[in-house]
Amino acid sequence: MSRGARRVLLLVDDDPRILSALYRVLRREGYELLTAETTAEALRMIDENPIDCVLSDHKMPEMTGLELLEQVAKRHPHAARLLITGWNLEIDASELARLGVQRVLSKPWDDAELKQALRAAMNGGER
Amino acid sequence: MAQLAKEAGPRGSLPAEALASLATDVSSEPVVVETVLCLGECIDRAQRGGIDLVVVDEALGSDAEEIVARLRRRGPALVVLQRSASDAAALAWFRRGAAECVVADRNFAALRHAVREQIERGSALRAAGVEGRGATPAVDEILRHPLVLVDPAGSITFANPAAERILGSPQADLRGRPFLEFLADETGESALAAALERGEPSPSIETRVLRDDGRVVPIGLSWGPIIAGGSQPSGAVAVFQSLADVQQWRALALQTEKMASIGQLAAGVAHEINNPMGFIHSNLFQMSEYVADLRQVWSRVEVLLKAVASDDSDWLERAGADLAEAADERDVSFLLQDLAKAIRESQEGSERIRHIVQDLRDYSHQDTGERVLADLNQCLDSTANIVWPMMKHLVVLSKRYGELPPVPCYPIQLKQVFMNLLVNAYQAIEEAVEKRIHPGDLGTVTLTTGPHDGGVLVEISDTGAGIATDHLDRIFDPFFTTKKVGVGTGLGLSTSFNIVRRHGGTLRVESWPGRGTTFRIQLPLLHEEHEEIGSEPE
Repeated sequence: MSRGARRVLLLVDDDPRILSALYRVLRREGYELLTAETTAEALRMIDENPIDCVLSDHKMPEMTGLELLEQVAKRHPHAARLLITGWNLEIDASELARLGVQRVLSKPWDDAELKQALRAAMNGGER
Repeated sequence: MAQLAKEAGPRGSLPAEALASLATDVSSEPVVVETVLCLGECIDRAQRGGIDLVVVDEALGSDAEEIVARLRRRGPALVVLQRSASDAAALAWFRRGAAECVVADRNFAALRHAVREQIERGSALRAAGVEGRGATPAVDEILRHPLVLVDPAGSITFANPAAERILGSPQADLRGRPFLEFLADETGESALAAALERGEPSPSIETRVLRDDGRVVPIGLSWGPIIAGGSQPSGAVAVFQSLADVQQWRALALQTEKMASIGQLAAGVAHEINNPMGFIHSNLFQMSEYVADLRQVWSRVEVLLKAVASDDSDWLERAGADLAEAADERDVSFLLQDLAKAIRESQEGSERIRHIVQDLRDYSHQDTGERVLADLNQCLDSTANIVWPMMKHLVVLSKRYGELPPVPCYPIQLKQVFMNLLVNAYQAIEEAVEKRIHPGDLGTVTLTTGPHDGGVLVEISDTGAGIATDHLDRIFDPFFTTKKVGVGTGLGLSTSFNIVRRHGGTLRVESWPGRGTTFRIQLPLLHEEHEEIGSEPE
């Protein structure tokens, strides 16, 4: 665990409504929640904070979620990495494996499944 | 006089009366029937000449195949008598060179009909001065098509059975009538004049046959002069073909292409719908938890109200503290504030979905089959709205719409052209961006419209990868594609080209490899077509 008792979870999506909804689901899960609407903002947060987990949208301007997670893997190899997307058919499974993405969730998501996936990913990521 | 050679099967399967009836039954001209019994005899006889038609019994097996193979295009027309119905076998016979295949039935009616048809075709050809039936592949081909001969005045002197079927009358009723009477418009007239007066063949034209029974059949028609002996044409031959099937095929190709572009869009649209669906779905669950929390707090309020009514100050104090604790624990001020926010956001999300569905509905709306007056700016804009979700992460869209007069068109078809060009523009930019040096660089798609040269101009430009110079003259060919398998059908541009041409317009392309491509559609405001122009139903 990076610091204190609370794990730091970074949510990235170019749609602020998604961030707002994810925040609602996770606000009482005991995480420290950070949100970023752009990949540039996300990269800055990654540099400035110890991150335990990144949950990112895939299809974004500037950079895909997968490209972002590749950067995360370089900078925080121990951080858990998950994608959440509205259309997962366009994501290459071998790329997911190569980048160690633990889970791809689809939108619309099931709240309970989302919470469970995050818990599982972070426990698995604790090495 | 027609000569007929008959190959009787070795098993004696053709009854003598069938042969006899062929001689008397099939034609007003006298027909001589000869019978040969084996391959060698048949070839010998055919080579001596004077044979118009050979009927080959399929029961001869490999001998029958050899007869057809050796006599194809050597003079006589070849009719194969099949012993059982099989399309595959018939196709094989046609490939070997048979002019016709018929299945043996009880009284050989089909055989007699086929023989009659072949003899009439032979007569038509002789009348047209073309000797030796089946002499060239072109002649073979012509014989399968409806064919009409006219005299120098343009009156019908002969119509083959295929022509009879399209014109809707038997030959006896057709003879002597001006062929132009059957055409619904004047497009065929000047071509016939060229053939009859100057002896020039005409290029193919599309026109329509107006039958006596009122039915209209679209046809492709070409005229050729008949020059026999003298230098003046002694008549003309019209070869035509029903386009009813061709038009159906076009409609099908159009639909196929539309489905393909929808397939490409599915990813973009699904993504665009699943985002708002995602947060609406999740918000609803959270809101129901908020309501449960607020209900817990409200139950403390009810206790407090009872305490107030009871005059019991201890209870009142306890109830007050209870309420404060519950409200604090559940963070009521946050709940109320966030509940309103969640509702607002969800409303906005459902509005987004409503828009997407509306645009899709506009796009898939079926053409009524009539030209209508439409606002092309609106057509282009609604199509761009559909493609937008797919392209927005890579593309800046620049709209330079000019004032346009209403354009007579098939709006759905034009929307499909716009869709194809927009999807291509996006893919060209995607291709360029894949090689991008600076991540985050966006491409630009510029939509320009305006009046032009008495018509209108619609331009779709992109800053994408461009088209290689050696591909440029092939991009409108059907099935030409440089896209990955599954990405394109290779029909998009060819379909678009045809749609624009059908509107009497032009579709042109300019491309600079590495810098981008511009497609330019020009459409006339007036297009010669004998159709009522209504207004677009909204």
